[in-house]
Amino acid sequence: MGSSARKKKEKKKDFQKTKLKVGKAKQKADNVTDTSFRSKSITVNQQSLTTTAPSSFSQFSHYVSLASSSKSDTQRKDALSYLTTQLSSQPVNASMPLPTAILLPKLIPLILDGSPAVRSQLLKFLRLLPPAEVGDRAEQSLLYTRAGMTHLSAPIRVDALALLEWLLEVAQEDIVTCPGGWVKTLKSFMSMMGWASSSGSTKWTSASRASFGKAGKAFPRQIIMLAKFLQAGLVEESSESLTSTSNGLFPLCDVEVHMIPARSNAFAHLNLFGSSRDEEGEMYIDREERQRVFATKFQPAVMEGLENVKKEAGEAGRAAAILSKALREGMVDYSGIDDTQ
Amino acid sequence: MPKKRVGALEKVDADLPNLQYKIGRDPKSYTEDFLNQYGQYQSQRDIFMASPTTATSSGIISFRNLIDFVAHVADCFPEDTAEFPEDLKTILTLHHAQLESELREKIVGSLVLLRRKDIIDSSSLLNTLFPILVATPSKTLRSLLFNKILSDLRTSNQKAINHRLNRTIQTALFNLLTSDRTSSKGIWAVKITRELWKRQIWTDSKAVEIMKEASLADNEKVIGSGVRFFLGGDKEREELEDESSDDEAIDVGKLKHQIGINKKTRKGKKSVEAAVKKVRQNEKKKNAPHPLNFSALHLLHDPQGFAEQLFSKHLNNGKSKLNLDQKLLVLQLVSRLVGLHKLTVIKLYSYFTKYLTPRQPQVTSFLASLAQATHSLVPPDAIEPLVQKIANEFVSEASASEVASAGLNAIREICVRQPLAMSDILLQDLVMYRKSKDKGTMMAAKGLLSLYREVGADLLKKRDRGKKATMGIKSGTIKERRFGEDEVGGIEGIELLEEWKANERKRKRAETGLPELGTDEEDEDENEAEEQAGWDNWDAESDASEDSGGWIAVESDEEINISDSEDDEPAAKKIKLDKSATPNPDAEKGETDQNPEKKVSKLATTKILTPADLAKLQELRLEASINKTMGAKTKAQSDRIKEALARHADDALTADQIEGFSKLRKSTKEEMIALAREGKGERGEHKSTQAIRKSKKEAEGKSTTNKEKSRKKNFLMTLGKAKYKQKRSLTQTKRVLQGHIERSKRGGKRGNIGM
Repeated sequence: MGSSARKKKEKKKDFQKTKLKVGKAKQKADNVTDTSFRSKSITVNQQSLTTTAPSSFSQFSHYVSLASSSKSDTQRKDALSYLTTQLSSQPVNASMPLPTAILLPKLIPLILDGSPAVRSQLLKFLRLLPPAEVGDRAEQSLLYTRAGMTHLSAPIRVDALALLEWLLEVAQEDIVTCPGGWVKTLKSFMSMMGWASSSGSTKWTSASRASFGKAGKAFPRQIIMLAKFLQAGLVEESSESLTSTSNGLFPLCDVEVHMIPARSNAFAHLNLFGSSRDEEGEMYIDREERQRVFATKFQPAVMEGLENVKKEAGEAGRAAAILSKALREGMVDYSGIDDTQ
Repeated sequence: MPKKRVGALEKVDADLPNLQYKIGRDPKSYTEDFLNQYGQYQSQRDIFMASPTTATSSGIISFRNLIDFVAHVADCFPEDTAEFPEDLKTILTLHHAQLESELREKIVGSLVLLRRKDIIDSSSLLNTLFPILVATPSKTLRSLLFNKILSDLRTSNQKAINHRLNRTIQTALFNLLTSDRTSSKGIWAVKITRELWKRQIWTDSKAVEIMKEASLADNEKVIGSGVRFFLGGDKEREELEDESSDDEAIDVGKLKHQIGINKKTRKGKKSVEAAVKKVRQNEKKKNAPHPLNFSALHLLHDPQGFAEQLFSKHLNNGKSKLNLDQKLLVLQLVSRLVGLHKLTVIKLYSYFTKYLTPRQPQVTSFLASLAQATHSLVPPDAIEPLVQKIANEFVSEASASEVASAGLNAIREICVRQPLAMSDILLQDLVMYRKSKDKGTMMAAKGLLSLYREVGADLLKKRDRGKKATMGIKSGTIKERRFGEDEVGGIEGIELLEEWKANERKRKRAETGLPELGTDEEDEDENEAEEQAGWDNWDAESDASEDSGGWIAVESDEEINISDSEDDEPAAKKIKLDKSATPNPDAEKGETDQNPEKKVSKLATTKILTPADLAKLQELRLEASINKTMGAKTKAQSDRIKEALARHADDALTADQIEGFSKLRKSTKEEMIALAREGKGERGEHKSTQAIRKSKKEAEGKSTTNKEKSRKKNFLMTLGKAKYKQKRSLTQTKRVLQGHIERSKRGGKRGNIGM
């Protein structure tokens, strides 16, 4: 048949010698491997090919941008760890390559990053920033902290709590007084712990927590952080500095009050230039104000939740004890008379 | 920033669509979860509002998705999400320029979704979207907003006309146009209005007012679009209506047939039911009373003022920046208005003078406009010099034949509308061109001649007048028409209709075998039956009990604030078909005014003419006037005359009609090919006629003949029979042959039972 003839021919072809032709390149063997390659660029990882190496400053800013906007997880993490080593290894009194005012807004969104490694590296990095400069950026940092606390993903929530812990350590006063810092953060706590209730519906069942799941181990930690936060906002600072100065020269008492304020934007609470704020976004400068807002808006929910947790005992129970202590201390001198209205 | 990779665990957590679905099923149980998400939305919103430009949608869940989620479930938690629509509105109004496009579209979509869920109302939505539509520099956003605004207006007007909403939007559009006349932003007002006009959502005079303002704007684009609306908006509307009425003609019979043949499934049954339903709906729609739609030109409040303003602002103004095309558009509109409403804008005619030369670009459009601007109340003194000029410039032995025919056509069109603009010397001169060698010129001159035989035969030379006109002048029945004189009373062609009706009746009686003249009673009965049929054809809703046939109560805008005062008469009185009670007032007046010796038709005074009658009347009029005009020897000629006569007085005169017969030049090859191809169907590839016919049949879903089937049958399937055939015994062969004969006698295997 025809097909077999064709097959025979094909079989024969393998053993035939190819004819060489004048002026043509030699034919390639069938089993030749193509080793040519094309690439747009050759990347050398570690070496700098320029004759003048980039300055440490430019390298630092490069890594900052890499950390904040790179597409790959590892690259972001590596950039952050580079920044960390740079900051930790520099001499004590040397000024930072970039000021906190630039670094913090660029890097704080990484708390919402999907990769856990990046987030933990970010927390390590933030601890190296000078505490004094963080206070001015408290509002912005808190925005991302709150977003992290209400995030769908549980690990991000945990890391956001760690971020809040750091913020409370370095800028306790600013955190609770900045616009929205008190009420909104408390609200985030409520929703994170499942103690919030809808304004519309009556409470029928206890929280179903379909998406947040049982907080498990993280729950005691959340309670402890809430305790810390309440302590920061409600418990009075031991005013040693005040007493020390008042003992000074006799006629000059309460001088600080009449001097030009040392902190930045001292009249921010008047909100002269910004858009109008609602109750949630308001600044609560006084301790009494914070107490009042807490008592009217959050205390019932917190007390109720606390009762439930105490029954659970275990680690959560112990944490609840800390929280109730903080509550007692904070609200001990609250008169309950609402004189603002 | 592109999407980051999402880990498996996080995916479960971040499953917003899943949560949305669950909330949709059972909102109460998932309140907590919703609140958590809402909290997340709020914190993301705060981040965004703090720095709208730099905030990126990084992270696992973007701001966009959260907005989408909240918008979808907002109706389940009205208290919690009370401020959500406001948030979206502020984000959109403040930052629409910097927002990234996807987020922007999502916000717009969410707002529309909220509107659909009735969380916000239409006016607040439109008041948000419209300023952005006007202000935004982004083209995609503009088109998106435009579509959304239109669709929202359409849906809110779907069930009943939402007068309040329409009024607020119309006011907004009007203000947009009048607040800044020089800006091009007004184009959006025009676009929206035009679209809604086209879809018959806005059909009132307010929409026309908006367009009027647009045509009087200072921006060229706005002017152009406004003027175009008046010139073409109504046609567009009609076309859309035609389109929507004749789409999707479903052949139910075919579907039923197919179902009978194919396997019987539930799906097939359903599809037949759906088709039947659709056909019924279509029929209902077809028979629904036709809504009364006035054309935009008729809805104008003050056409005289409008025409004067247009003329003095755009045409007779040295500072006007319009180019020739735009000026021509405006001129067309002005002349249209003048002709339609019989306005008096005397300056307009002198304006034409400088454009009436053969070298002027688009001179035919100018000629058409001039003819259009002429009507019976224009003083002949104003037009006479123009006619003279056209004759001098265009019509001469030396000028090209196209030029001459265009000039003659223009003169004829002018004189149709104002016959007094012609002097006898000029007319006699022009009529001589009917001997021209060029066909176009010759026909144009003949047209002029036949026109003046009717309207002013005494201007013609005696030998040109023709038999009818000469006799008419002699007997005194044809009199010279004076300026401003109107024909008195009567309905043109009513006697023709009467005659036709009598003939019809005679014919019918002859068919049924009755004597030609019946008693009055019988006639009366027949008349009534006929009349009923006449109404029925046009309006399915009229039946015996409720005979408001053909009339729709047109509701006015005022019906929203209905006055409850008890002494108001019922607003829409139903007009009854009682013949004796309502004689036609116009016709009656005509009767008293007319000469007693002239026989007056009683038809209009004794009967209300049905729509069918009116259509017939129009037809008869046409026929009569065709018979009157001379020289319609060939079919093409008579067709052309018919077309010219059928043109309604409201229709615009175009440059094509002025060029008219000069098109009679030898057609180009392409035109000839197109003419030959016309009606022959699509011939994509080279095929035989047979093959084309076959494929057409196949496309229509028709079956093949038995012969074709046997031809197509697989060879292997026939092989066995063929082999067996050779081995058959004689008896077997006989049986087969006999069977064949019997079958053919019976008419196939099953037989033609009942045939």
